[in-house]
Amino acid sequence: MTTFHSAPLRRRQWLCATGAVLCGGPLHAMPASPADQLLMGMSMNNLLSLDPAAATGLDALAVGCNLYDSLLEADPHDVARLVPALARAWDVRQGGRRLVLQLRPDVRFASGGPLLAEHAAWSMQRVLKLNLAPASVWKSYGFTAARVQADIQAPEPFTLQVDLPQPTDPGLVLLTMATSMSALVLDRDAVLAHETQGDQGAAWLTTHAAGSGAFALQTWRPKELLILRRQPGHWRGEARLQRVVMRHMTESQTLRLMLSRGDLDVAGGLSAPDVQALSRQPDLAVESVRRGNIYYVAVNARHPRFADERVRRAVLRHLIDFDGMAGSVLMAFGQTHQRPVPAGLPASLPSPGYRLDVAQARRLLTEAGLADGFDTTIRVMAEAPFTGIATSLQATLAQAGIRARIQPGTGNQVYGAMRERNFEIVVGRGGGGAEAHPHSSLRALVYNPDNRDSARLTNFQGWRTGHADPTLNALIDQALVESDAARQVALYRQAQQRVHEAVGGLQPIAAVTDTHVVRRAVQGYVGHPSGATRLRDVFKVGPA
Amino acid sequence: MSARPLLRGVAGIATSLLGLLVLTFLIGRVMPLDPVLAIVGPDADRSTYEQVHRQLGLDQPLAVQFGRYLLSLAHGDLGQALLTGNPVARDLVRVLPATAELATLAMLIGVLLGVPLGVLAATHHGRWPDHLARVLGLLGHSTPVFWFGMMGLLVFYAWLGWAGGIGRIGLAFEGNVPTVTGLLLLDAALAGDAPAWRSALRHLLLPAAVLGLHSMAYLSRMTRAFMLAQLSQEYITTARVKGLTERQVVWGHAFRNIRVQLLTIVALAYGGLLEGAVLTETVFGWPGFGSYLTGSLLLGDMNAVMGSVLVIGVLFVSLNLLTDALYRVFDPRAAA
Repeated sequence: MTTFHSAPLRRRQWLCATGAVLCGGPLHAMPASPADQLLMGMSMNNLLSLDPAAATGLDALAVGCNLYDSLLEADPHDVARLVPALARAWDVRQGGRRLVLQLRPDVRFASGGPLLAEHAAWSMQRVLKLNLAPASVWKSYGFTAARVQADIQAPEPFTLQVDLPQPTDPGLVLLTMATSMSALVLDRDAVLAHETQGDQGAAWLTTHAAGSGAFALQTWRPKELLILRRQPGHWRGEARLQRVVMRHMTESQTLRLMLSRGDLDVAGGLSAPDVQALSRQPDLAVESVRRGNIYYVAVNARHPRFADERVRRAVLRHLIDFDGMAGSVLMAFGQTHQRPVPAGLPASLPSPGYRLDVAQARRLLTEAGLADGFDTTIRVMAEAPFTGIATSLQATLAQAGIRARIQPGTGNQVYGAMRERNFEIVVGRGGGGAEAHPHSSLRALVYNPDNRDSARLTNFQGWRTGHADPTLNALIDQALVESDAARQVALYRQAQQRVHEAVGGLQPIAAVTDTHVVRRAVQGYVGHPSGATRLRDVFKVGPA
Repeated sequence: MSARPLLRGVAGIATSLLGLLVLTFLIGRVMPLDPVLAIVGPDADRSTYEQVHRQLGLDQPLAVQFGRYLLSLAHGDLGQALLTGNPVARDLVRVLPATAELATLAMLIGVLLGVPLGVLAATHHGRWPDHLARVLGLLGHSTPVFWFGMMGLLVFYAWLGWAGGIGRIGLAFEGNVPTVTGLLLLDAALAGDAPAWRSALRHLLLPAAVLGLHSMAYLSRMTRAFMLAQLSQEYITTARVKGLTERQVVWGHAFRNIRVQLLTIVALAYGGLLEGAVLTETVFGWPGFGSYLTGSLLLGDMNAVMGSVLVIGVLFVSLNLLTDALYRVFDPRAAA
C-alpha cells in the first residue's frame, strides 16, 4: 500500500519550502498518482443526491453501484444479459406475474449487519413511498405506494418475491433491478437510525451511504469532491484499490493538463479536440462506451408552424446534416443513430439513412405554403455538443429559408420549457437510460397515450412534443405484454417502422457515447453502457 | 460613541441587509429557473413534480415564502441547500475559508507589489518606471483573468511543474487533512503533515498570483494617481526646501497622506475578492464561495443564494466598519 507518511514540520523546513516556492523553484514532487488510489476528474454537476430513492442520472449510478450492491447486474459487454449479484438465482412464475429471487446468505452491510431479503424489499418499497423521480419507472409497472408492501415481500430471509401488479414484460422489470439506482439495496437499520420527521432517512442519505458495496463513502462534498474507501471483507473479495478520489472538474483544458502531468488516472467530459490530442499520448487510452440514450432534435407539434407533418418531415428528416455532424460536433460524444431503439438489441433496426436534402425540404415547405421559410427558435443547453448541433441545424435550416435563432440556457431552462410545451425546436438528450430494452426507449421518446395539455405526461418526450400516434401507442403496449420473444421483437420492429412512416415530433440523431481517457497503467476499468461502472476489479500496474 | 448613534448604525445595517434579501428573493422568483426540476430531474412525472413543489413550499404566496424564510433566519437557520443537501450555514463555513485563503494571499501579493509600483511610478513620473507600471497596469486590467489562469497553468504547471495544478491540494492528499479552520495551509500545519502542506502551498500560489496580479494592476494605478496629487502639493515643496531626503518626503509625508484613500480601495478590492473570484475558481477548480454562489444561482437554489448574499452583505459591512476604525488610527482628524 502506498501511503504518505505524515512528518512534523520543522521551522527550517517551512522556511526552505516557502522560500523555494517564492523563488520559483519546484518543491519536492510527490508521486502524482499512488498505486493504490484511482484519481478521477469529471463533471459532477448532476450529482445532487446519493440517495437511491432520490438520485437521478447516470453520474449518481456510477457512484451508487460502488457503494451499494444490486440484486442483479447487467453484463457490461452485453447489457441485455443479466448476471447474478446479490441474487444468485431468479425465477419468473405465474405466467410472468411473479418474480422470485434467491439471495446470497453471506453478504454483510458496511455496518456489519447481514443483508436479508427484507432489506431488499424495504429498499424498493421506500422508493415508491418517497415518490421521487426514481419511482417513476416502478409506477410505470403498476406499483403504487399504497400496495407496494403487499406486492414486494420477503417470505423467507433470503427469498425476495415481487408480484407484478399489471401485465408487463418480466424481463424488463429484471433489467430495471439490474441497472436502476432505485433497485440498490440499503441497510434499513442504518438508514432508519437517521430518520427525521418520518423521511425514511432521506435527508441523511442525500449525503451519506448505507450499503454493502465494494467501497464505502469516505467524503462527499457536492460539486467538489467524492472519495470512496475500500470496504473490508466484501463478499466478492476486497477491492484492489484502497481509495477512489473523484474531483468535480468541468474545464476540458484543465483535465487535459492534469492527465498529461500524470495527476489524473481517468478523466471524463473532455472536448473532442482534447480527446484527439490525448489519444496520441502513448501512456493514455481512449475508452468510449455507447449509452442507451440519444441526442435528438425535437419540434413542438402543437405549435402552428410544426402542426403540419410536411414541415416536420422537412425539418427533422431533410434539414439535419447527420453525416456532417458525425465527423465534427459529435466526435467523442455520439455515433449516428436515427431510430428511437438503441443499436445492439435483438429488436434494433439499422438507421433508415436520412440525410441532408435541402431540395426535398424546400419542396415539402412549398407544399405546406411556406416557400419563403419562417422564423423560429432553437432552445439548447449551452454546452458541447448541444451548441454544436444547434449551430449546424441553424445553418442547414437557413439553406431552406428557415431563419432560426439559437436560445442557449441551462438544462433546467431548456427541459423546463419543453415540459411546459413552450418551445419550437429543442436540441436535447434523452431515452431509455440505463435499461437496454426497446420499451424503455420507445416509452421515453415517442409514446404518448394522452395528448391533452391537462394530462401533463411530462416524463414522456412524446407528450412534450405534442404528437400522439394511437397506432404507435398500441404497438408499444402490445409488445410489452407479448410473452413470445420472437413476436415481441417483431412488434418492436413494427413500432420503429411506424415512427419512420409517420413523422412525429422527435428525431434521434446520434446514440450518446461516453468517452473517458484512461491511463494505461489502470487495468480492469470497464465502462458500463448503463452507467454502472464498477471499480471493484480496477488496479494499477507499473510505475505510477 | 453614545447609544443613539450606535443604535442608528445598527438599524441602518439591518435595513440594508433586509433590503438586500428582499431584492435577492424577488429576483430569484422572476428568474426562469425551476428548483423543483433541479431536484427531480427533467424526466420526473407530474405527481413527483407536484409533491416536491409542495415540499419546498413553492405553492405558497411569495409573501408567505419570504416570511417563513425570515422566521427561520431569526432562529439562525439559513435553510437547506438543494445543491448539496446540507444546511446552507454548513456549506458557507466550508467554502468561505477556501476563498478567504485565496483572496488574502492574492491581496497580499497585490498590495506588496501594487503599492510600491504605484509610488515608484509617481516619483518617476513620465520616465521608464512610470511607463513600465502603466504597461503592467494595462496588462493586468485588460487581460482576462481566465486567460491568465490558463496560461499560468500551461507554463508553471504543465511545462515547468512548479505549480500544483487544479484544486486546493493534490488529489492523492484529498481527505487526509483533518478540517480545523478550513484554511488548508493552516490545517495541514496543525496536523503536522508536511507533504500535504507542501502540496497545498503549491496549489495556492498560482491562483493567488493570478488574482494578485489583477489587484496589483488596480492598486498601482490608484496609488500612482493618489501620489501624484500629493506630490504636487505645496507642503511637499516645503518639505524639500527644508532639506528632507526624498525618501522622507515620499514615504514620510506624501504616502502618509494617501493611506486613508488606499485603505478604502484595498478594503473594497479585498471585499470583491472575498465575494468570489468566480473565473479564477473555475479555471483552478477552487471550491470557493464564488463557485458555490454561481452553482446555486444556476440551479435556482434560493436558500443558498440568499444565504450567500447575506454573507456578502455582512462582509462588506464588516469591512466598512473595519475601514472606519482604521481611519481613526491613520487620520487624527477622523478620530476627533
